[in-house]
Formats: sequence, C-alpha cells, structure tokens
Amino acid sequence: MAVAETGLDRLAVEGPVGSTAVSVRNVNMVFGDYRAVDDASFDLQEGKFLTILGPSGSGKTTLLRMIAGFQAPTSGEIAINGIPVGHVPPNKRSIGMVFQKLALFPHMTAAQNVAFPLKMRRFDARTIPARVAKYLDLVKLGGFANRRIHELSGGQQQRIAIARALVFEPDLLLLDEPLAALDRKLREEMQLEFRRIQRELGVTTINVTHDQREALVVSDEIIVMDKGRIQQNAKPSATYRQPSNSFVAGFIGVTNFLSGSVTDVTDSEVAFIAGTQPLCGRWVATDVRPSAGQSVKGAVRAEQIRVAATPDRLDDLQTTVAGSVMDVIFEGERVVYEVRLASLQDATIRVFDHDPSQHAEFEAGARVFVGWNARDVLVFAE
Amino acid sequence: MTTARGKTIFLWTLVMISVVVLSAPTLVVLGASFTAGNMITFPPQGLSLKWYASIAQATDLREAFLRSLYVALICTLVAIPVGTLAGIALAKYAVRFEKALQIYLLLPFTIPLIGSGIGLMLIFGNAGILGQLWPVGIACCVINLPFMIWAVTASAGSLDPDLELAAANCGAPPLQTFLLVTLPAVTPGVITGSLLMFILALNEFLVSLLLVDARIVTLPVQIYNSIRSIITPDLAAISVVFIGCAALAITILDRLVGLDVFLKSK
Ligand SMILES: Nc1ncnc2c1ncn2[C@@H]1O[C@H](COP(=O)(O)OP(=O)(O)OP(=O)(O)O)[C@@H](O)[C@H]1O
Ligand SMILES: [Mg+2]
Repeated sequence: MAVAETGLDRLAVEGPVGSTAVSVRNVNMVFGDYRAVDDASFDLQEGKFLTILGPSGSGKTTLLRMIAGFQAPTSGEIAINGIPVGHVPPNKRSIGMVFQKLALFPHMTAAQNVAFPLKMRRFDARTIPARVAKYLDLVKLGGFANRRIHELSGGQQQRIAIARALVFEPDLLLLDEPLAALDRKLREEMQLEFRRIQRELGVTTINVTHDQREALVVSDEIIVMDKGRIQQNAKPSATYRQPSNSFVAGFIGVTNFLSGSVTDVTDSEVAFIAGTQPLCGRWVATDVRPSAGQSVKGAVRAEQIRVAATPDRLDDLQTTVAGSVMDVIFEGERVVYEVRLASLQDATIRVFDHDPSQHAEFEAGARVFVGWNARDVLVFAE
Repeated sequence: MTTARGKTIFLWTLVMISVVVLSAPTLVVLGASFTAGNMITFPPQGLSLKWYASIAQATDLREAFLRSLYVALICTLVAIPVGTLAGIALAKYAVRFEKALQIYLLLPFTIPLIGSGIGLMLIFGNAGILGQLWPVGIACCVINLPFMIWAVTASAGSLDPDLELAAANCGAPPLQTFLLVTLPAVTPGVITGSLLMFILALNEFLVSLLLVDARIVTLPVQIYNSIRSIITPDLAAISVVFIGCAALAITILDRLVGLDVFLKSK
C-alpha cells in the first residue's frame, strides 16, 4: 500500500529537474591503511530523498560525517549548492542532522533544544518562540515544549531531534539511522512521518539505514554501499528490479543464487547449466558479454518462484525443477518453503507462497515442483 | 530462588555491618558532645548543651573555624576552573603527557601528606608568603586537586561524543559549544568535585600544621593543640559542628544535582 502511494506521489513531485544540492566527487576516506570510503561520487538534486543503504561497516556513517563536515575526506571534493565546502567548518554549513543516538542536549527542555540552532545562527530573538512552536507542532509535540529530554518517550525524543534539525530550514537534512533503535511498529510510523515532513518542507535529505524496507518505502533514490564502494545508485524500483551486481541483488530482498557455467549466449538471454539442470536468464551487465564456459550465478527472488505438487500446475512457467521441502516457515502473511533441488547439486532455495489457501500447504519432506520464468533470472559473472 | 535469597541476606548483612562500623565513631562523638559531665565519655553522663554553649563562647575556636572556612573557600575557588578544564581535557583529548598526569592523579595515595607538606612549606618559605592564610588554601588545592579532576573526568567520560558535534551542527562555534553544551553536561561532576574539595580543605590537618603559625591556626590544628593539654567534651561538640557542615554540603549537593546521579553508575 505504502509503496503504491509513494510511487504515485513521486510522479507528481517529479516536475522540472531541480539544481544539484549535493555533489560528491571521488571522495576517499582512509583510516591508517583501511579505506572506509573508496572513490565515492554522486549527485543529488534539490528536494530529493536519498537513502544510503549498506551492511554494517560499509562506510555509510563516514560518508555522512564528511558531508556534515565532522571529518575531512582524505581526498576528493564535496560541494553543497554548487559551492565546495572543503574549508567550511560544520557550524558554518547549513545542514541539519539527526544523529543515530539523537544527541539531544540533556540539560535543556524540548523547546530549548529546538531553539538552540536558532540562537546559534542568530535568528531574530523575537521570531524564535513562534518558530519553535511551529516546528514542535509539525512533529506533533506542541504540548511538550517544557518537558525535559528524559521525560519524553523514545519516539518523542526522535521527533524533537527532527524538529531541532529542521527548525532553521537547512539546505540539507542528514539522517544517520535515527530509527534503528525503535521497535518495528514505531519505526514504520516514523518512516512515513519523515517522508511526510520532508515532502511538506521540500528539504533535500540523505538518510542512512540498513533497513532495506525503509529504503524502498521512503526514498526517491537509493545508493547501495559495500566495503566503502558505491555499488548502485538508482530509483528504488530499479534497485529492486535491475540490481547492477550480485551484491545488490543479494542484499535487497530474498534472493536465491544458482551457480553454473555458460553454455550458450543469445542477444538477450544466457543459457547456463547448474549441476545437471539447464537454466536460462538475462545478462545484466551492459559493458561485458559472457562467454561460453564462464562461471556465472543466476539470481532469482523468492517471490518469483512458485511451488506446486505436480508440474502441470506450473505449465505457464519456462523452468520447472523437482525438489523436496526441507523446512516450512510460517510468517503470517506468507509461508516460506526451503526446497532442496537434487538436480542443482542439492542447492537449497527459498520460495514465498503468499496464498496458501489456493495450493496445498506442504509439509517438510514433501516432494514438490518449483518453477520460474527465465526473465526473472538475472545472470551475473561469478 | 534460594540462592538468590541467600545472596540477598548476605548482602544485607554486609551492608548493615558496614553502616554500623562507618557510623559508630560519629554516633559516639555525637553522644559524647551532649554530656553534662566534665569528661569526654560514652555513653554521656546526663544531657546538656553546655559544651555547645562553651564553644560558642570560645573566640579562639570560632576564629579558627572561620579561618578554616576561608581556606576551604580559596581551595574550592581555585580548584573549580583548574580541575574542570583539566578533567575535561583528560577525558576528551589524547593528552600529550597522559602517563605523567596519571601518576599525578595517584599522588594523594602514594605520597605521604607530610612529604607534600614539607615540600610546600619550603616553596612558600622561599616565596616569602609563609604566615599568610591564602597559601594554605592553595596548598590544600594542590594536594587534593586529583579528586576534583576525577569527579569531572567521570562526568565528561560518560558524555556522548556526538553531543558536541550536534552543537556544531546546530551552528555553535567551538567556544559556545564548550560553554553551552560541554560545561553544563559536566556540571554534576564539577559540583561533586567542588564539595569534595571544600570538605577536604576544611578538614586538612597535616599540611595546615606545617604552613600556619600561632596567629593563623585553622580549626583542625586548634583542636590538635587543645588535645595536647586536656581532652574536654567541647572537642566532641566542635566535631559535631564539623559533621553538621559535611551533612549540609551533602544536602546542598542533593538539592543542586540530586544524589541519585552519583549513586547510579555515572
Ligand atoms: N575514526 C575511525 N578510525 C578508524 N576506523 C574507522 C573510524 N571511523 C570508522 N572507521 C571504520 O570505517 C569503516 C566504516 O565505518 P562506518 O561507521 O562508516 O560504517 P557504517 O556503514 O556506518 O556501519 P554501521 O551500519 O554499522 O553504522 C568501519 O570498518 C570502521 O571500523
Ligand atoms: Mg553507521
């Protein structure tokens, strides 16, 4: 539901192309002999919501800290609104940031926290109370102005941190996993809240997370990072449907990898054999072509696979393989089967079944057939 | 279940023993101060406030007490800026002479006070300031400063390092960040340290003994001088006044920052 809504809104928002709000050029960050960020480059248009997604230690926070000005890149250049900021200290940059652990000032009230950036940035003292009230209302905490920070709940503190980051109307909003500590329900609420506020104010936002669902739901663009390198920079649907390499394919969604070697290459399709099973899929990389005999792996997502008791129920699919159910995981809205495929050297794949009432619900040990279409198999070099 | 219960009983027994042992001298001196007799005894013989009346009359005791307050005040006033800055620096930055500083922080436990006292006496003698009261305050500060630094370091060490970055991100230049964010955050440590310095200076005996002359004796030295001749219950009464001062300090601490801040692992 939420995905469909943001999808529509995104079309509406995308009018004329805005100017470049953030530009990162060949940025490196080296700690000792460890390269935490490796040659990162990207541009972000004004008003867009970018999410940086990646596993722990992939360099997300480091990248964000360099943009905020807390750390200087070892090499490379960062420009905000077209102006290089290499020599601009953090307090002179117009950037609002929500920290992972919030970093609210414990000795101040909620309102004093929100007023702090206004005082420091020399806003007209007479306008400060009204502006603080406006932003407390925006995060729906109008009645909590005089509470101390420790008298607020986790979610309320979160929203004070957002108000503090936004109140001076920065050119850029940075979010460093501020939702990671919240429980799932509150987190999903806050994700939509972020999106609502961000759209209401039109502020350019960079959000860091390792929650792929959050990234898909709230972003205009997603950068996937691994080992300090940017792996892909694309719209959420493209990141999901056309991952640029096997890391991205494996990191987002539940993906099965089938290893094999190439037997034949046509214009759009690659035939390869995994174990004794001939398979077919799409070659993704545009710059290199596969050659016969090359080791490859085909990626197919759990929701693109169907499972049935007999092969005739999978008639409409191009590939069907016999297997046996190893494990059944009931997840409420869907059932996950782990199926072992003898003809693929006993590879175990995961299959989602969203509508168990239509099919037989299989038990562990059951003999089944799984099937998929060749167009849903993305083939990457090993 | 039973082991947990046994553990609780064991812990409580320990706590009770500690409380009794720790408070016994205080209770004894408190009782002795209310005696109606002329000898310092416990339990007291009859009840009266006559020894309190007597110390209120004794100008030498009262003046010595005021001098001790003055010394403690000087000590605390010097310790607050020096100790706070040193404590924050030690907690936050890779200080260059960290090893040397750590040794300094251990000094109060390793060097006998008599040693430091003689050293200071020589220095002050050379500087020609012996015989004045304020150098005694400075001396108390020098000797006890590690306690102040510790209190501040503990506070600063538990500080979220992002707090200062957040202040910068809000637009605060370094000085404002320090004054408006770092300092208030370490205030509990500063207050604890100050009260500790105050009480330690108020009670300081050995160093005062070496640095004062007959005209400017502080209270502990005055008491010492008296017990050399005869031990009378007025000394118990003056001790109770001392204890009262400490209790007052603790109350102030509780009012200002809340004792729970220190009782929790902060
Ligand atoms: N100041 C530093 N000194 C040395 N190494 C550092 C420093 N800061 C970060 N690193 C290293 O750089 C790498 C990237 O760290 P970073 O904090 O950017 O990861 P991250 O993607 O934010 O991870 P997480 O999702 O766990 O927050 C890590 O391996 C980390 O150990
Ligand atoms: Mg991080």
